[in-house]
Amino acid sequence: MVTPRRRLAVLAGKATGALSRATRRGGGTTFPGDVARAIDPQVLRRLIGDLRGGAILITGTNGKTTTARLVAGLLQGMGARVVTNRAGSNLIYGATAAAVAGAGLDGRLRADWGVFEIDEATLPAAVEETRPVAVVVGNLFRDQLDRYGELELLARTIQGALERLPEGGRAVLNADDPRVGEIGLGLPRPPLWYGVEDRSVSLSELPHAADARTCPHCGARLEFSAVYVGHDGVYACPNRDFARPAPEVVATSVTLDGLDRICIEVGGVRVEAPLGGLYNVYNVLAAFSVGTVLGLNQHFMAESLKKAVAAFGRQERFERRGRRFTIMLAKNPTGFNEILRESERADGRHFLIGLNDRIADGRDVSWIWDVDFELLAGRAEVVVPSGVRAHDMALRLKYAEVTAATEPEPDLGLALDRLTEATPEGGDAYLLCTYTAMLDLRALLVQRGWLRPYWAT
Amino acid sequence: MAAAILGDVSRGDPESLTIGWLYPELMNIYGDRGNVLTLYQRARWRGLQAEVVDLDKGATRAMDRVDIFFFGGGQDREQALVYDDLIETKAVPLARALEEGAVILAICGGYQLLGHYYQTAEGQRFPGLGLLDVRTEAGPRRCIGDVVVDVDPELGLTPPTLVGFENHSGRTFLGSGARPLGRVRRGRGNNEEDGTEGAVANNIFGSYLHGSLLPKNPHLADLMIERAKRCRLPRLDDRLELAAHRWILEREAARRPLGDARAR
Repeated sequence: MVTPRRRLAVLAGKATGALSRATRRGGGTTFPGDVARAIDPQVLRRLIGDLRGGAILITGTNGKTTTARLVAGLLQGMGARVVTNRAGSNLIYGATAAAVAGAGLDGRLRADWGVFEIDEATLPAAVEETRPVAVVVGNLFRDQLDRYGELELLARTIQGALERLPEGGRAVLNADDPRVGEIGLGLPRPPLWYGVEDRSVSLSELPHAADARTCPHCGARLEFSAVYVGHDGVYACPNRDFARPAPEVVATSVTLDGLDRICIEVGGVRVEAPLGGLYNVYNVLAAFSVGTVLGLNQHFMAESLKKAVAAFGRQERFERRGRRFTIMLAKNPTGFNEILRESERADGRHFLIGLNDRIADGRDVSWIWDVDFELLAGRAEVVVPSGVRAHDMALRLKYAEVTAATEPEPDLGLALDRLTEATPEGGDAYLLCTYTAMLDLRALLVQRGWLRPYWAT
Repeated sequence: MAAAILGDVSRGDPESLTIGWLYPELMNIYGDRGNVLTLYQRARWRGLQAEVVDLDKGATRAMDRVDIFFFGGGQDREQALVYDDLIETKAVPLARALEEGAVILAICGGYQLLGHYYQTAEGQRFPGLGLLDVRTEAGPRRCIGDVVVDVDPELGLTPPTLVGFENHSGRTFLGSGARPLGRVRRGRGNNEEDGTEGAVANNIFGSYLHGSLLPKNPHLADLMIERAKRCRLPRLDDRLELAAHRWILEREAARRPLGDARAR
C-alpha cells in the first residue's frame, strides 16, 4: 500500500530532481533523496518493497561504480527494469534519490531490481533499509584516512552489516583481499567467494601501498604466492592461522589487451569485456558472481559482458583535435598504481594529473607519496601537474625524478591545453584525476562540447 | 650527550648518508615514504651516496651506521604488532646511535612511542622508549586538518614556518627536557591547549605533521642532514618545494578570518 506520506515524499523528491537538472546544478543525484527522506524517513525501505527481484549492493574501496554498472547491465540484458545510483552518489541519500527517480507519480517503484553502489561506511544503513539479496565487497584499501578513519574500523563496520543480512541475502566476497577474507571467514553464513588464479599476471612483490600484510590472528607476515592488485592476491599465514578462502567463482587464463579488452575464463566459459586492466578483471568477476547468486546463465552473462561500457570518468574516452584522450579516476594509492600500470601497458606517454583536496578527495594529500609515480620516470614525455594541489603533485613528480613534468598548472583548462599541445597528432593522452578533479574536468569538457553531461551517460 | 655530538666524528662516511627506516611495512601510514624519499634524494642530489636501510621486525642490521632514523605512524593493529619488537630489539641500539650523534625524525605514532608513555582513554599506560621528554594521552576527538607552524627560531630555519597536515587523537605534553618544534599558527598541534607542535631535543625530532612533512619543508630536511653529517650543505634549487610551502601559507592566511572553516 502506498501511504500518502510516501507518495508526497516521492513527488517532492522528483520535483527537486527536475528542478536541479533544469537549473543545471547537476544531475539531481543526491538532493532529491534528502528531500524525500525528510518527508518520509522510511521512503527507501518502502520503495524497495516494490521491487520484484530485490536489491543488490556493491561496496569496497575501488571498483564500486563499474561493478554496479556491470551488474545492472546483466539484469537489463534480460529485459529487467533496473534502478541504479549510477552517478556515484553512494550514500543513503543517493540510493534514495535513485529509487525516487525510478518511482511513478503514484509513489510506486516501477522496477524489478535495484543495484546500488554503496559507500563502505554507509553499508549498515543500506543493508537495513534495502534488505539485499546480494552484497558485493570488492576490496579494502587505504583510502582517505581523514574521512574514513583506519581500515580496521571500516572492516568491522562492514562485517557487522553483513552479519545482519536477511535470510536469503548472500555476501559475495573477493577471496583475494586479506581484509575481505577476514570479514567473510567471520560470517555466520558462508559467502560466495571469487578470486583470480593466473600467475602470469602476478606482480613480483607487494607494492609499498599494501596494507593487509599481516595475519589477523597471530600477526605473522602473510606469505603471498601471487600479488594481483594492491594487497590482493593468494596469501597464507606461515603459521597456518589464516589463508585465502578457496574461491568458488575463479578467473583463469587472464589476458590484458591494453585499455581495450580483458579476457578471462570462468568455469570453462570464456568471458570478454571491452574494459582495461586487472582491476576490471575483478569487477567483471564480481558481476559474474552476483549473476551466479541470482542463477543467471553463464553463457548469457558472457555475451552480455561483451557489450559493457565504462562508467563516467573511468576509462572514458573521446577524440579531439586528432588526439585520443582517456579519463582515468584514481582516488587512492592502490587505484593510482593500477591506472599507472594500465597506462604503461598501453604505452602511454602524455599525462595530466589532476589532484584536488576537497572533502570527497580527502583533504590530506599525503597519499600521493605512497603512489609509485616512479613508474613514469624515463617513460613519460610530458606530465602536467594540475588541480587544486598541483604544487604538491609537481613536487611528488620531482622526487620521483619524472623529468618530463612541467611547472604546476592548477587551472585544469590551461593544463588540458598544455597537454593537448604537447601530445602529437594521432597520439594518446591520459587524464588521471582524483574524484572532484574528474568532476571539474568533465564539467569543463561538457562546456567545451567535448563530452556529454554525466547524468546523460 | 652534547659532548658526544660535538666530539664524535667517527660515525659514518662524510660522502654518504644512511637512512634507517623503522618498520617501513607496518609503520607507513599515509605518505611516510615521502619523508624518507626527501632525505634520500636531497642527499643524492648533492652527490652523497644515499642508502635506505629497512629496519623491520627483528632487524638491527646496520643500525650502528645509520645517520638518520625515520619512524612513522601506523594504524592501531600495526602499532601493536611492532611494540614488543621496538622495546626488545630496537631500543638499545637506537639509544646508542642517538648518543653517538645520529638524528631521528618521528611522526605521529612514532613520535608518541619516543616519549615516556601513551595513556589510553581507559587509563592504561604503554611505556614508550623514553628518548624524548614527552607524554601522550588519548584525547576526546581527532585533530584533523592543515597546520601552519611558526618554527622555533633557535633552529634557524628560513622560511621560519613549517606546513603539514595533522590527523591524531593523542594529546602530547612536553616536559622540561624537550622544546616545541614550533607554535601553531593554524591547526591544533601537540595537545590543543598550549599552542605547541612537535618536540626537539638535541637531534631528536618529533612531530604530528604529515603531508608528507619533509617534501614541503626542505629546510627542515636539510637541517637533519646537516646535523647528521655535521657539515654545511650546498643549496639546491628549491623553487618547487618553496612554492608548495608558500601555497599552503597563503591558503591558510586567506582562510583565517573564517575561523575554523573547512575546505570546500
